Amino acid sequence: MKWAAGVAITGLMALLALGVIGVFPRPELPDPEPVALSWGARNAVAAIVLGVRLWDTLFEILVYAMTIAGVKLGLRFLRWEKRVPPVAETPLLRRSADILLGPIVVFTVYVAASGHLGPGGGFPAGALLGTGLLLLALAKGVERVSAEIHEEALDWVEYGAIVVILGLAAVLLLLGRRGAPYFIATNLLIALEVAIGAWVAIHRFALSRGEV
Amino acid sequence: MEGLAGLALGIALVGLGFWTLVVRRNLIWKLLGLDVAAGGSILFLVALGYRPGGRPAIVGLGPGPAVDPLPQALVLTAIVIHFATLALALVYVVLLTHRRHTQDVRRLEAEERWPQP
Repeated sequence: MKWAAGVAITGLMALLALGVIGVFPRPELPDPEPVALSWGARNAVAAIVLGVRLWDTLFEILVYAMTIAGVKLGLRFLRWEKRVPPVAETPLLRRSADILLGPIVVFTVYVAASGHLGPGGGFPAGALLGTGLLLLALAKGVERVSAEIHEEALDWVEYGAIVVILGLAAVLLLLGRRGAPYFIATNLLIALEVAIGAWVAIHRFALSRGEV
Repeated sequence: MEGLAGLALGIALVGLGFWTLVVRRNLIWKLLGLDVAAGGSILFLVALGYRPGGRPAIVGLGPGPAVDPLPQALVLTAIVIHFATLALALVYVVLLTHRRHTQDVRRLEAEERWPQP
C-alpha cells in the first residue's frame, strides 16, 4: 500500500514539475487591464470574479450555502453523554474583544466596498468578519455569544443575501449592466454571506463539543 | 527562475498532503492531509500566474507587466469551497466518532457489520 502510494504521488509530482518546466503548451492570455477597465473595476481579479466568471461565483456561493446547511443539519441532533463545560472567561479578554469588534467590522466593510479598486473583495472581507466573531466567541464564551445572536435572524439574512445576489446577477446578465456600484453591492453581500456561513460553521462545532 | 521556489514548495506540499491522506489511519489526520494538499495546490496555482518582474494585477500600479490574474480568481473559489467541504467532512467525522467511538479507519472497517447475502 505504502509503495503504491509513493509511486502514485511521485508520478503526480513529476507531472506537475514537467508542466512547470514548459513541456506542455501554455495559452497566451489577453492583457487584463483593458478587460478590467471595461467592467468598471481597477482590480483585474474582481473583474474576473464578478464579471467574466460570474456564473462560477454564483454557483460557488450556492455550494457554500449548501455545505453550511449540511453542517447545521448534521450537528443539530448530536447529543454527547459527557459534555465539555464552557471555558472560564477573563474580564481583560472580554473587554479587549468588545473594543476590537468595532474596528474589525469597519475594516470588513472597507475591504468589501473597495474590493474593485484594490486588494480585497467580498470573500476576504467575509473571512475577516467571521474570524472577528470567532475572536469574540473565544473571549466571551461560545454559549453566551450564540445566545446573543439569534439563529433564525441569521438564517433570514444569509439566505436573503443569496436571493439578492441572484437578483443582481440576473440584472447584470440579462440587462448587461456593469460598473462600480454593482461591484460594491455584490461584494458587500458576498462578505455578509461568507461571514455568516463561517460563524455558523465555527459556532456549531464549538457548541457540539464533547467526549466519547 | 524567480517563481520556481513557490512552485516547488506547492508541489512538495501537495505530495506531503497526499502522503498523509493515504498512509495515516486517523480520519482527522487524513483531513489535515487533504487541507495541506489543498494549500499546496493553491500555492502552486498562484505561483503559476507569476511573471518575472510582474506587478499586482491592479490598474495604475506602475509600469511593467501585470501578473496573471486568472489563477488568483480561480483560487478564490478553491479556498472558499475547500473551507466549506472541510467543515462538512469534519461533521461526518464528529458523527462517526459519536457513534463508533473511534477515528481509526482499520478499526472502523474491522468492526463494520457487512450485510450478509
